[in-house]
Amino acid sequence: MEHLKKLIDEAKKDFDSCGSLTELDNAKSKYIGKTGPLTEAMKGLSSLPKEEKPKAGAFINEIKKSIEALLSARKEMIQNEELLNQLNDESIDVTLPGVKRNQGSLHPITHTMNRIEMFFHSIGFTLADGPEIEDDYHNFTALNIPEYHPARAMHDTFYIDDEHVLRTHTSPVQVRYMKNNKPPLKIISPGRVYRVDSDATHSPMFHQVEGLWIDEKVSFANLKGVVQDFLQQFFEDETLSIRFRPSFFPFTEPSAEIDMSWNGGWLEIGGCGMVHPEVLRQVGIDTNEYQGFAFGLGVERLAMLKFQLNDLRPFFTNDLRFLQQFRA
Amino acid sequence: MQFSKSWLQEFFDSSLDAIDLAQTLTIAGIEVEDIQDLSGLSDQIVVGEIVAMEKHPDADRLNVCQVDVGANDLLQIVCGAPNARIGIKIPCAMVGAKLPGFDIKKAKLRGVESFGMLCSAKELGLSQEADGLYELGSSLVLGQTIIDALALNDSIYHLSITPNRADCLSIKGIAREVAALSDLTLKNKDMVQNLQYKKNNTQKVVIEDPVLCPRYVGMLIQGVDNKKKLPEFITHYLERGGISSINPIVDITNYVLLETGQPLHAFDHDKIDGNIRVRKALNGEVLLTINQLEIVFDGGELIIADNSGPLALAGIMGGHLSSTQEGSTNIFLESAYFDPAAISGRARSFGLNTDSSHRFERGVDFGYTRNAAEYAAALIIQYCGGRIEESADITGSLPERPAITLRVKKVTDVMGVRISDIEIKIILEKLRFEFTYDESIFTVIPPTYRFDMSIEEDLVEEIIRLYGYDNIPALAPSTEAKILPVDSQKKDVKTIKNALANLGYNEVISYSFIEKDVEIGLHGNTTPIALKNPIASHLDVMRSHLWGSHLEVLVYNLNRNQKNVKIFEVASVYAKHKGDYTEAKVLSGLVYGDHLPEQWSEKIREINYYDIKGDIETISSNTLSFRKPATDLPAAFHPGKVAEVMLSNTRIGWVGQLHPSWQQKYELPRKAYLFEIDIEKVAEVKGVSYTIPSKFIPIRRDISLVMNKDVVVGEAIESVYAKQIPGLIEFQAFDIYEGEGIEKGKKSIAFLILIQDTYKTLEDSDIANVVDQVIKVMESNYEAKLR
Repeated sequence: MEHLKKLIDEAKKDFDSCGSLTELDNAKSKYIGKTGPLTEAMKGLSSLPKEEKPKAGAFINEIKKSIEALLSARKEMIQNEELLNQLNDESIDVTLPGVKRNQGSLHPITHTMNRIEMFFHSIGFTLADGPEIEDDYHNFTALNIPEYHPARAMHDTFYIDDEHVLRTHTSPVQVRYMKNNKPPLKIISPGRVYRVDSDATHSPMFHQVEGLWIDEKVSFANLKGVVQDFLQQFFEDETLSIRFRPSFFPFTEPSAEIDMSWNGGWLEIGGCGMVHPEVLRQVGIDTNEYQGFAFGLGVERLAMLKFQLNDLRPFFTNDLRFLQQFRA
Repeated sequence: MQFSKSWLQEFFDSSLDAIDLAQTLTIAGIEVEDIQDLSGLSDQIVVGEIVAMEKHPDADRLNVCQVDVGANDLLQIVCGAPNARIGIKIPCAMVGAKLPGFDIKKAKLRGVESFGMLCSAKELGLSQEADGLYELGSSLVLGQTIIDALALNDSIYHLSITPNRADCLSIKGIAREVAALSDLTLKNKDMVQNLQYKKNNTQKVVIEDPVLCPRYVGMLIQGVDNKKKLPEFITHYLERGGISSINPIVDITNYVLLETGQPLHAFDHDKIDGNIRVRKALNGEVLLTINQLEIVFDGGELIIADNSGPLALAGIMGGHLSSTQEGSTNIFLESAYFDPAAISGRARSFGLNTDSSHRFERGVDFGYTRNAAEYAAALIIQYCGGRIEESADITGSLPERPAITLRVKKVTDVMGVRISDIEIKIILEKLRFEFTYDESIFTVIPPTYRFDMSIEEDLVEEIIRLYGYDNIPALAPSTEAKILPVDSQKKDVKTIKNALANLGYNEVISYSFIEKDVEIGLHGNTTPIALKNPIASHLDVMRSHLWGSHLEVLVYNLNRNQKNVKIFEVASVYAKHKGDYTEAKVLSGLVYGDHLPEQWSEKIREINYYDIKGDIETISSNTLSFRKPATDLPAAFHPGKVAEVMLSNTRIGWVGQLHPSWQQKYELPRKAYLFEIDIEKVAEVKGVSYTIPSKFIPIRRDISLVMNKDVVVGEAIESVYAKQIPGLIEFQAFDIYEGEGIEKGKKSIAFLILIQDTYKTLEDSDIANVVDQVIKVMESNYEAKLR
């Protein structure tokens, strides 16, 4: 019986030399197959005396278990190796480019207007819209700019016919909205405006955002509050200095230019003021009951500052290499 | 407007340096565009005189000058200026002087030593042009610094005055503002106290239109010498005010204009034929203006005339023939108030914008008309001699300055912070407004030079302006916290833009104007909306589609080596409708190139119609359909590759391939695709309902049908859906085959049929029934045969 003990060492050697599951399977039959030495030994038990049988049987089983353990250990090892090989074979260069799609983008002016709209929406302003081919009345007269008023000369207007112009500002939206809605009113109106002007800092078409708030007690101090709050949030700088500089627009009184501090100086970014009583009267709002403010901001200027661009023209040349930086 | 700071200083006893002038003007509402400091010149530049001069031995165009600069020794300076000559006084930059751009050093010019440089006005930075040495006045002291000699301790302020502030178009007006906003006291500089002359109205002046010309003061000054030299301060001030010197009398009128804001005109009295008449021009009358422009009047323009005809365009420009020349000895001086209505628009209509018209159309102080004439006359007599022989002073219907009520409460309401009665009182006094006060109500009479004060709000603005915008706090408004409504039936345009960007589209913004030929040809609009004054000839009409603009964007980017171009824009398009104009917002786009960028991992193919159609289907949340267009096909499209985009039975847009002839015209090597949709309609999500999916798995059956080639598959599918076959949830084409095995003129299409019931598992017979019904529809409508 003792010779069987040697089988364990032989099997270990044999199994270890197997490189694949098939080889291992072949090797296995040499030891625990139907014709293997252990089976033979089991068969031989019958010739032993009755009292020796249990001991001998247990001994053979012990050996068999040991060999089986060796076998499964080796099997697992081979399986692991094979998996490892498979994983190795399947490995890819993960640094190669991913599937490239066409790069989409939103125009920087849209990004800017969305941001502006969002801030004003958050304090209750709704959107209003008006035509770009505007009649003389809404673009000028209703805004307290009669014919021959010198203020008309400041506007460099595009004319369609004697009665119609391309709107020179978004302010006519105020008039249209006030005519059709009763106060309190609280709107912003972003859109395209046009002036006969074209150079590095002027485009014949550009964008403004008009704001209007009419209520019983909306004051000049509130105008300062709203505009300052907006600019500080827009530029994410709570310490940003804003200056209100006295100026003149026929449709507001008092009027102010809005300047913000920039690189040690002041930069003009829009105009504002308390809506002129004449404008309110034109649309039938009782000036004893209501007052309010209006402002107009230059979107391109805000976009240039926000995105740190020093030229206006790329906004309208639509070079994809420029635009694709402004992802949605 | 520009002016010399020294001139402004003359209105004050205390120094302007005590205040920040630029800041004071800014808070007054006067924009300071630029401040030009003249005092920066080196003190090594002094007054010199050429006392000897001989030709340079080795250079024809150079002279060797001996220059006296008031020192013991003469300076030897080599000079090439054409006007260099013995006896003239010139600015001499000595060794060590710094000039704008370079330093003066001892030098050798062609072998001759030179100890400085003689300068032109341009080299000193005092003028843009110069054609030789700056010849200085002979009375200047040799060796004096040029700064002192020319009173260059000065700066020029360039201001932008808003149209409401006509009163600030003068040194006096600026001085008034400075005094109102500081502690400086204003001097009465421009009032002549004791000018003796006959106020006899013997000079015949006839005002035919007392409304447009409510005040006219005329003075006949005889015996003047207009060849005299005015003191240099006057010419310096004029130059620094942007007006060049012409002759003493004209210079004095300009001096008074700049200082007081009252435009004046000096006629040569000897050229006037009889009476002066202020009247409307007759049709066909002609005037040759001072700047040699021949004006033919339509009739109705306000003019100054004599018995022979027009002498001047009232308040705008004088005539050439009656203008004051160097040899003039008898002058008729005019100081008038013309109503802004007489001037407004007139100057521009003649292409003129003069210092005079600029002021009259905004409003000139009608309380100062006579004083201005007296001030100018006194200066003329002082510097050119002569005496006032006759005068006229006619007053018609001057503007009124009715009292305005100003409530303290109103000021507080508008400002948003409380202001006291006394603060308002102080401000009104600072403004020199006449007023009375009673129980928090002021009654104010604005001065004659303020044309912007007629209602209470005008005064409120003045109070707030003087109170200081900076002194008003920025207060967050308190308001009702009301939630804004949101329309669930409409997608935000932002959402659609984002969806497109995620599909690889780049948003562009292009001009709303386009070239007329493109509008007519490509957009098919035979009646374009033309601009009267386009910025450029290729941007002369308003566009009715965005395609032309987008093709330009395409070409621009192809020229910059871009291969794939996918762009979109949301913008208005414009149409004329019975003399009125309409606008609609459209979403428009252009696609060109490959469906993906070139890369190692994907097979690249050219983009096609179905890519764009799929994109449109993706961004619209409603059931759009695409129809082969029957009529009015836009010229931009390939007639066989274009669809109308339909929302129920309404066409809301187009999608298709650019017509090959346009492709050729734009020299595009590959096909381009265009689309345009009504953005409002595509944003609608009306009528969408939602269901919970059935727990029964849908059964799929595939069939192949052979039919005529011209069958429109989209319509065929619609016709099957229209039968509303119970259990049919999807019917879709998934393969199309023509060629071997299929009869010519036919095509074979593989359809998938998805069948499902909400309540039960389908039996084989149910399924067969649905498939049969589908086939029957296809058979009867399209003569389709099961393959």
